[in-house]
Amino acid sequence: MVLLIKDEYPEKLFQENGKRLDGRDKKELRPIKMEVDVLKNADGSAYIEWGNNKIFAAVFGPREVHPHHLSKPDKGILRVFYRMATYSVFDRKRPAPGRREKEISMIIADCLEPVLFLELYPGTAFEIFIQVIDADGGTRCASTTVASLALADAGIPMKSLVTALAVGKIDGELVVDLSGIEDKAGEADLPIAITWFNDEISLLQFDGEMDLSELDTVLKDAKEAAKKIYEIQVNTLKNKYISIQNNIEKEKGGED
Amino acid sequence: MMDVKRVISTIERKYIKNNLKKEERLDGRGLWDYREFKITPNFVAAAEGSADVSLGETRIITGLKYDIGTPFPDLPDEGVCTIMAELIPLASPLFERGPPDEQSIELARVVDRGIRHADCVQTKKLCIEAEKAVYILFVDMYVINYEGNLIDCGGVSALTTLISAQLPEGKWNGEDVEWTGGYFTGKDIVNELPLVITYGKIDDIIFLDPDLPEELVCDGRISISSTEEKITSIQKSGVATFSFDEIKMLCSKSLEIGKKLRKDLNLWQYKANIE
Repeated sequence: MVLLIKDEYPEKLFQENGKRLDGRDKKELRPIKMEVDVLKNADGSAYIEWGNNKIFAAVFGPREVHPHHLSKPDKGILRVFYRMATYSVFDRKRPAPGRREKEISMIIADCLEPVLFLELYPGTAFEIFIQVIDADGGTRCASTTVASLALADAGIPMKSLVTALAVGKIDGELVVDLSGIEDKAGEADLPIAITWFNDEISLLQFDGEMDLSELDTVLKDAKEAAKKIYEIQVNTLKNKYISIQNNIEKEKGGED
Repeated sequence: MMDVKRVISTIERKYIKNNLKKEERLDGRGLWDYREFKITPNFVAAAEGSADVSLGETRIITGLKYDIGTPFPDLPDEGVCTIMAELIPLASPLFERGPPDEQSIELARVVDRGIRHADCVQTKKLCIEAEKAVYILFVDMYVINYEGNLIDCGGVSALTTLISAQLPEGKWNGEDVEWTGGYFTGKDIVNELPLVITYGKIDDIIFLDPDLPEELVCDGRISISSTEEKITSIQKSGVATFSFDEIKMLCSKSLEIGKKLRKDLNLWQYKANIE
């Protein structure tokens, strides 16, 4: 790929006033907006804008398993397909799914499975399709968050929602919610997902260097920040039902 | 809305057909009416140009990326524009995973031909140095929701993406390409505005912009691309046959509908503004 404008990283990831390059404090999240029931053809769907990330998730199922040999007689299976649009990144991505996309798909499936009651759906499949339209760091976490919302929108029984975010270290400081530049130019990146029914960690990856006390602090920060995201998830779901209720009342009002 | 997860039954086919005969459609449109277009330009920050276009419930998000490459030997002083379409399973249970199938290749090709033969993309301006360096544009369409007539939605989506694009301007320094600091926008990239218009046919009834149930029951489709004055490409698909008179009628209809649509959409308003 030859591009006229090169993808270069700044030397410093903090401004003079101690704020991060995008003006955030160390423990501040990027703006997050979520929506459910955005795709009419899916059984459940959700959309998230997290900073510059824009991601759609659609859930289909329980439905027949293709290919058939993957089906399990004693429980349903969960399949996740995380895909990035060719134009969602700085260098155009090749259209066919690559190794990274396949790995992330598996990680997200493993992360979400603990909250589902798959044993209630033997011989069937739940399929989650995640399409990243615009990417700017932390897409696997945003995808996990939006996928769990789409599952809830589909009305599939769940033990709880799942919330994910990335924490890490940039220029020697611990921060939450790494942006694209911070992820590439920083020292450590730690994506983490929390299943709220048992308050445990269901997705964890780590690349970089940290000592034990830093790791301890950053995990605590992650949980605190995740709680804020969880609130947005819950409110998004609630708002859907409130608007359905309002519509019904409006229709009733019209009849009188 | 009709459930797409099942096959359309004979009785539904008859119902849709009988309604069309009375010049009525399930969603209340006339035979020659479009569903509503909704356009959001510059939807994707990472892309050089992009558009989120809805035609009724059909929704396509398109983005543009570029590359500097060597031109084709037979066109040494022209840039290249390629169009790709992905029908991702997120958009409909009718779509399956895997490499592009016939339907997505047809969508990309019909939109591509409509643009290619209309002198739409300024390929000569997208040449930095003949035989050495030209722009290669990748216009990639992702279908986000499928409710019929992907072609017309894709056509507007690809066109809006090209119009809204801003390409870093390159110059040849004798050995390599370097960035001048300026950008190519709007008219530097796009010249004509070709619109592709699709009609469905059931028996001898022809209608504009088939929605999903209509597309599932119709015998065939015909897509006609035109600029302000000229027809630039035609694609007939499906098993329907068209009479010579019908083709003639549809071509003049396309010019007329195209003119109105071009005015209503006013796509130049989405041109990138650079201070």
